[in-house]
Amino acid sequence: MNPQLLGQSIVLGILTGGVYALMASGLTLIFGVMRVVNVAHAAMIVMSAYLSWMLYRTLGLDPLLSIIVLMPVFFVLGALGQWVVLRRLGGRDLTLTVLVSFGFAIILEGLQGSLWSSSFQAINTAYSLDSFNILGIYVPLVRLLAAGAALALLGALFVVLSRTNLGRAIRATTQDPRSAALVGVNVEYVTTLAFGLGVAMAAAGGPLLGMLFAFYPATHWLWIGKLLAVVVLGGLGSLKGTFVAAMILGLAEQVATVTISLDWAPLVFYLFLFGVLIVRPRGLFGTVARESL
Amino acid sequence: MLLEIEGLCAGYGSGGDILRGVDLSLAEGDFVCLIGPNGAGKSTLLRAISGILRPRRGTIRFDGTDVAGLRPDLLFRRGIAHVPQGRSTFPQMTVHENLLMGAYSIRDRGLARERLEVAAAFFPIVVEQANRRAGLLSGGEQKQVEMARAIVTSPRLMLLDEPTLGLEPRASRTVMAKMRELNEHGVTILLVEQNARTGLGTARTGCVMELGTIKLRGEGQRLLDDPQVKRLYLGESAAV
Repeated sequence: MNPQLLGQSIVLGILTGGVYALMASGLTLIFGVMRVVNVAHAAMIVMSAYLSWMLYRTLGLDPLLSIIVLMPVFFVLGALGQWVVLRRLGGRDLTLTVLVSFGFAIILEGLQGSLWSSSFQAINTAYSLDSFNILGIYVPLVRLLAAGAALALLGALFVVLSRTNLGRAIRATTQDPRSAALVGVNVEYVTTLAFGLGVAMAAAGGPLLGMLFAFYPATHWLWIGKLLAVVVLGGLGSLKGTFVAAMILGLAEQVATVTISLDWAPLVFYLFLFGVLIVRPRGLFGTVARESL
Repeated sequence: MLLEIEGLCAGYGSGGDILRGVDLSLAEGDFVCLIGPNGAGKSTLLRAISGILRPRRGTIRFDGTDVAGLRPDLLFRRGIAHVPQGRSTFPQMTVHENLLMGAYSIRDRGLARERLEVAAAFFPIVVEQANRRAGLLSGGEQKQVEMARAIVTSPRLMLLDEPTLGLEPRASRTVMAKMRELNEHGVTILLVEQNARTGLGTARTGCVMELGTIKLRGEGQRLLDDPQVKRLYLGESAAV
């Protein structure tokens, strides 16, 4: 085994893992607060990738900067969607929300197909092919920028959740909605903002996805499987778990690619997932098993 | 009267009424203990008062206005704090964060800080264990955190649902003593207690609940001496 190649794959794994963590964070947040499995999450990310691609092509807006535009728009749309549609579905009926979000994913996919055709796209900026060398390890610039942006946004999300009144209310609602209501939290209002925040995180993931990977309307099916696997491995509703699981996914893919073969890249992660779930059904940091008592 | 309940009926889902016309009133400063067999509707009554359960009929007047059917967060803001049965801390948050949640509805930061200090003075545990995750504390400690969290807004009425359930004797005594202390500081308390002897011994007034209505009301000590209450709820056979 070539140590340099291994070092290379570890660096790439961590950088990619950071982006996975950002993409999955909204899914975790929404599940945590609402017990809603948002199957349309990846379709929202791909939608954001398309919009970022459009902004770049028409206005020349850098995809990283488009995050600043897309997040607030998605936040408002997400909060509205929760208030107008999801709120009326009678709270926490898991099956119904899965069906509704599944339908919404198909609508988004169809919309993207009719607007932008079903062929592959990618966001290619002037610096897309730049890279540099650190100690013999080749680092593509876009990967570094994407990972940096992802970590900055995850850090911001962490600060919001741990240091602000609203963030604490979101976490309290996640852990015990009835007790949250009993200390004066308007649970519906907080849930709406949390859903908006989750959708805004999907918006942030789009441009990064577009910069690193090719996408087309149906790619979201590929991604939602991956992201749900990350959320389950980390433990439903735990952001810390999601982060760790995303890193494991990124590393497993990259390391398996260089040590075994490209074909094994997805498999290694799923084998790991099965192993963990057999020993710990709630995932790495999950608390749902306890909550369901 | 701080709390006046008249003809209150409530139940769960499409099931029948659990509360079948409850009449109960509490004056400012009262300490009332509800006793009665399982299924009498004691917890249900507390849930209806705090808004967790929407009443079907009847009125709940709090401080003169009818508040029946209001959301629990709005009732909390009006001064009704409910410490439900079992654990209700936010287990993944620190004790300090749990306490901060008690101040969630206080907009003025200075006032919030002041109130947090008052709550901490009543329950020193929230300072001693400030940075521990609440879920890691013992049952008795968690109950104190819940009570501390509930008094941050200085509520006028506190509803406590079997706060000593599952606690070891010493923790039980601490919790009961804290309740008395709060009551002496002017908080009106409505307590549900499975252990009738402890409950009636601590509270000033006792109410016996049966089949969704209040059957008897009297001074705590007098109820303890009542032969019928003794036979039914204190596990003593009546003298033949």
